[in-house]
Amino acid sequence: MNGWTLAATVGLAGGLGTALWGVATGPLRRRVVAQNLATALACPAMLLLAQGYGRPAYVDLGLVLALLGPVGTLVFARLLADELAEDPPRAWVATWAVAALGAVTVIALCVATGPSRAMAKLLVIGALLIGGNVIASRALAGGFRRVGRG
Amino acid sequence: MADAVIVVALLLVAATATVAVATRDPARQALVLSVLGVVLAVLFTVFQAPDVGLSQLAVGSALTPLLLMLTVRKVRRRGRDEEHER
Repeated sequence: MNGWTLAATVGLAGGLGTALWGVATGPLRRRVVAQNLATALACPAMLLLAQGYGRPAYVDLGLVLALLGPVGTLVFARLLADELAEDPPRAWVATWAVAALGAVTVIALCVATGPSRAMAKLLVIGALLIGGNVIASRALAGGFRRVGRG
Repeated sequence: MADAVIVVALLLVAATATVAVATRDPARQALVLSVLGVVLAVLFTVFQAPDVGLSQLAVGSALTPLLLMLTVRKVRRRGRDEEHER
């Protein structure tokens, strides 16, 4: 077990454990935010695991998760729009904290990889992760409601 | 010590699946199921099966919640229409 796998273990236990608590209890607005953050926390853990196992092919899992996680959240934002409109979720602190965690992870992995095609792929995954996370949070908070109705 | 990540992933899967069973409202259950899909993908990765993890991610994180939420919406809408007809 090396430092990368240890970091992934701590991230999984702390991050996904908290997200599970959030998705299991509380009002609907807290649950959708926790679902969004669960995907955004699992993606850096996947990247750390790929580095820890020394298998660059595992990075594809992080790429697919960074693409599909926000899509899943957008599904909930669209189909729960009526219920969320009464009580919109506001979780910008948590969103940006998780985005910063993802950015720190991607930068650390880039430093470990060195300049190459793998580093470009990691940067693309990081951009997708943070961009998708912020867009999904904005959709949950009702930022695109006029677009959806118009 | 090397098995710690496997233990964490297994515990997460067990806890998430229990929560998914214990949640009654279908819309909230779909949220928990989406998290369960991600956690299962992590478990498969930890077991060195990334191909299974990839398909689990594709199905579990977006497709299963979409199908469930569409079904819930259709059932609710149909129930409302029948109440109007009476």
